[in-house]
Order: sequence, then C-alpha cells, then structure tokens
Amino acid sequence: MICTVEKIIQETPDVRTYRLKFRDESLAEKFDWFPGQFVEFSLLGSGECTFCIASSATRKGTFDCSIKRAGIVTADIHRDLDEGDVVGIRGPYGNWFPLEDLKGKNLLFVGGGIGLAPLRSLIQYAIDNRNDYADFTILYGARTSADLCYKEEIDEWKNNKSLKVILTIDKPEDTWKENVGVVPKILEEVVNPIVENTKVITCGPPIMIKYTLMSLDKLGFDPKDVVTTLEMKMQCGLGKCGRCNIGSTYVCKDGPVFTYEDLSKLPDEF
Amino acid sequence: MNLTTYSTDPAGLQAFYEAIISAHDTYAPVEKFGKFDFTRVDSLSTCNTDSPIPKTMSVKPLFFPKSAKVMKYKATSEGTELTDTEEDPLAGKRVVLGVRHCDARSLQVLDAVYKWDYVDTDYGKRRENTILISTRCNEASTHCFCTSLDYDVEQLDAFDVAVINGLDEKVYLQARTEKGETFLKENATGLAVANGSAQEEMKKQFEKFASSFRLKMDYTEINEKMQGQFDSPEFEDVSSNCVSCNTCAFVCPTCHCFKISDEKLRDEGVRYKSYDSCNNVYFTLMAGGHNPRPVKYRRWRQRAMHKFVYYKERFGVNLCIGCGKCTTSCPVNISIFEVVNKVAK
Repeated sequence: MICTVEKIIQETPDVRTYRLKFRDESLAEKFDWFPGQFVEFSLLGSGECTFCIASSATRKGTFDCSIKRAGIVTADIHRDLDEGDVVGIRGPYGNWFPLEDLKGKNLLFVGGGIGLAPLRSLIQYAIDNRNDYADFTILYGARTSADLCYKEEIDEWKNNKSLKVILTIDKPEDTWKENVGVVPKILEEVVNPIVENTKVITCGPPIMIKYTLMSLDKLGFDPKDVVTTLEMKMQCGLGKCGRCNIGSTYVCKDGPVFTYEDLSKLPDEF
Repeated sequence: MNLTTYSTDPAGLQAFYEAIISAHDTYAPVEKFGKFDFTRVDSLSTCNTDSPIPKTMSVKPLFFPKSAKVMKYKATSEGTELTDTEEDPLAGKRVVLGVRHCDARSLQVLDAVYKWDYVDTDYGKRRENTILISTRCNEASTHCFCTSLDYDVEQLDAFDVAVINGLDEKVYLQARTEKGETFLKENATGLAVANGSAQEEMKKQFEKFASSFRLKMDYTEINEKMQGQFDSPEFEDVSSNCVSCNTCAFVCPTCHCFKISDEKLRDEGVRYKSYDSCNNVYFTLMAGGHNPRPVKYRRWRQRAMHKFVYYKERFGVNLCIGCGKCTTSCPVNISIFEVVNKVAK
C-alpha cells in the first residue's frame, strides 16, 4: 500500500511525526486498526522498519507514525522524506490493547519519551469514547522538556477538564514549572494512584518500564491490570522471520501488547 | 488408499532415475569443491543420488532460497513503481532425487511455521509442485542422531517415494503419499510390484542401519529437562568456543529465520529476503542500541531452546531433526547433541 506524507511535525530534536494518507482513497476506507497495532514502514532503497500507529482509527482519513532518529533507516527517513513523498506501508499487524477489559475502569497512562506514541493511539481512542471510562490520568515524562513529544496535543489534553495530565522531566530547568524527577518516582510520590478498579497502560524505554513495574508492584497493582507494549526487533510482522521470538511467543503476532502477568511468564530476555 | 511398492535391481533403479531426468525437471546432489548441493541436472552421470550426508547441503534452499527477491522497484519522474514481474524459478513442477530422511522430515517441520497464521504461498507452491524421492541411508555418519526422533520410519510420509535397498541386491521403490503413488504409476513402467516379503526386508535393512548409530538420545526426556534450563550456567560453557560464524544455521535444514534488506543502485532497487541466524549479534539489535541478546551464550541459549523447547511448545515438533550437519560444518566443533545433553543434565 502506498501512502503519501501529508504532514511532518517536528516533535523533539530527534522525533518527527509523519502524518500519512493513502494514495488510493478506497484503501483509506478499508484500512482499520485498533490502538496498539503496528505497521511495517518502507522507505524504498533504505529498508523497512516497524512503527506503531500513533493515532486512533476514530480519527480516520490519515494515520500517524512518530519516528525517532535512531538507526540507519530512521536516519534516512528523517533526512530524505519530505511532505508529499511516498512510502510503502504493510499492516496493520499485531494485537491491540484489551479494549473490552478497559471499559468502565480508571485509566492510568504512564509514558516515557517516544513511548507515548503507542499510548497516544489509545488515549485518542479513549477520549473519543470518553463515556466508556471512569477517571483518566496521563503521566508523561522525558529527559528534558525539549524531549517531550506531542506538545500541542498535551496542551489540548490539559485543557480537557475530564483528563488529568501530569508531566515530568528528569532534571530541573529554569522555565519548567511542572514536576522534576524520573517517572517511577513521580508515579509514587505525586500521582499516588488509586489501585481499585484501575488499569495501567505503560510504555517507555526499557529502564523506565523496569522501574515503573517495580513501583506499580509496590503500590499494590495486580500484574493482570498492568498493560504494556513491547519493543522488539521485527522484520516480517507475519510470524515467520523468527526475530521477535521470546520463548515460543511471536511478539509480532501474540503481541506487542502484553499484561505484566503475561510478561512474567515469558523467559527473562529483558 | 493403497500405496504400492515396486521391486527392481540397481540397474533398474539407474534406468528409473534416467527416465525421470529425461522426462522431468530434476534436482539431485551435484558435487562442487568436494561438497554436494541440490542442483538441476540433465543426466545421471553428473549427480550422485547417494551422496554422503555430512558433505551434502540440505534440500532447504529448493524451498527457501538463500536469498530471494521480494520485489523490484524503480523511481520514475511520476513516482516509484514496482517492476517485479519475474517468475519464481522454484515454483514449477519438479522432482528431487537423493533426499535423505532427515531432509524430508525437516520440510514437514518447516511446514508448521510456514502454514500458521499468514500462509507463505511461495513456499506452499514449491512444496506442492515437488516430488521428493528419498534414498535410505545404509550407515549413520559420525554426527547423525536422526533415529532418536520419535517417528516410524516405515510409515514416514515426509517424501513421496522411498528408495530402499533390500537383500540380494534388490531395490524397492515404495510410494509413501498419494502424490508418490500417482507418480510411480506414471513413471515406474516396467517395474514389478514387490511381493509380500518386501516389508520385512526393508525393516531388517532399517534395523541394521539403526544399529550403526554412535549417538542416541531420548528426545522426550530432553524436551522435558530443557524446559527448566533457561538459566543454566552450561550455556556459557558450551558456547564459549563459538565464533558466531552462523554456518550452523545456514546448513541447518530447519533453521528458517530470515532478514529483509534493500539494495539500491541509483534509481532502481531490490528488496531481498535472505537467511539470517539468531547466532548473529545483529539479529536482535534494535535501532536505539538495545539488544536483548548482546552476548554469545544468550544467543546460543535461544538457538538450543528454540530447537528443543519453544518450537515444540508452539508447533508440537522439535526444530532439530538430528542430521548432524551443523556439527560437521562447525569450525570449532560445537556439537548440538553435546550442547543439549549437557544443558539437560
């Protein structure tokens, strides 16, 4: 499937959001996805990469991929891909956040850095179906204020009276008026969430996930109620190439969304 | 349905092979630099249907090529267009001679992964259009342990036609699948249908072959014991000599991991699907620099556990068929047999 880059948004110095539109409009109608799913994104000549869809299908017509400049293909994407250019898309692949299980629950999103991208898909979905959920809290952190993604959208979220948004950065900055400290610390000290009837959805760098899971454990969350989405090297997305295997699990088919309970049953490769 | 067994002598078998080669697209082991590779042949004299196992590459590349084009593309002034119209060179009807049990069995093992969820149609077509004619081994080679697997060799339907030596210079051709039955009906013209003692003779021949094995293990026991060995310190020990050359995965008939890569020259490019291996440090290295298997023993653990635990859990079969090719080809003599036996202690 060929998509055109409709808009590029510079989120942080090394993250850009690419808003994509199907060149064939009839495909746009058919292309449906759930929050948490991913696509294989081709820049011909450079290669293919796996990116989560960072927007919700409740806002159809276009979809977003937020891409951090990290490796060879992502560097080429940042350098070569301009608005109006075309890319190849395969997908959507993988499972999605347990939408049914989340209904009627308090939602607590815990994101770090580019890890907000997969959460954003679910956040948008949940905002568009706001009546299905109880309390709605977003805790989002990054190393510096410049590294926070989706700044404009976060302002919208802050203005939305039905959401609670808590931001944090690792070290103090002169103009920064919100929290300072790593995500797990803020989670325990500032958010101090109600455990009852709450589902936690978290994504971020491996180190943040590790300590966040420990904090959640300390706060008394049941591993069943903690949902995360895994980052694992993938190529085919079809359960064939073997790259994303963790034990007998194919992250590309059985995941990338897992509960903490599922994760603890997998061999400890993280 | 009734599957027929035909009987002939070595000369008759040669004539049968000759007839196949002249009538069909035929692949058989051909020697090149002291090694045998399944290659398309035009005459029986250029190939060896009884090539020694340790020196023969598996049939895997006939179904899953070392490197294959996924697509071709070209940048034009109107944008990018796909120019892929090449036909799959392996998709036509063909016959493969000189396939060993282990090789044929490996394809059945691979079927499981290629047919779950997304079905790989290229692979399926290649499988469907191929007649596999097996050669039964007469003696085990040093690193073979295929008889340790729990299948009944006399019933094995991994190939379409079995060629088995009997007593007194007799040779039996036995159909093992419906495809093989039809094939023999059409191609085994002039061969006599074997009498009742054939089955008995073939069994005896197998018993003689089975007694020549140096290596034996209990797969069920290994499966069970390996399950709890994820944290075994043995993995560090057994992998310490590994040079991460990935040869084991390339010669392995069941290794099926691949990578997708793009190559581009000016305005044209090709996307390839090529062999890859979990022993390769780049296999799981992510763009951000995170790698769940940065050290050798973790990669070896993945290799051993995938073959003896994970694949079995997922698809019900082991991902190792005991052919010993990896051990024969390993430059530092790591034996998968020894590895799992040490770990499963």
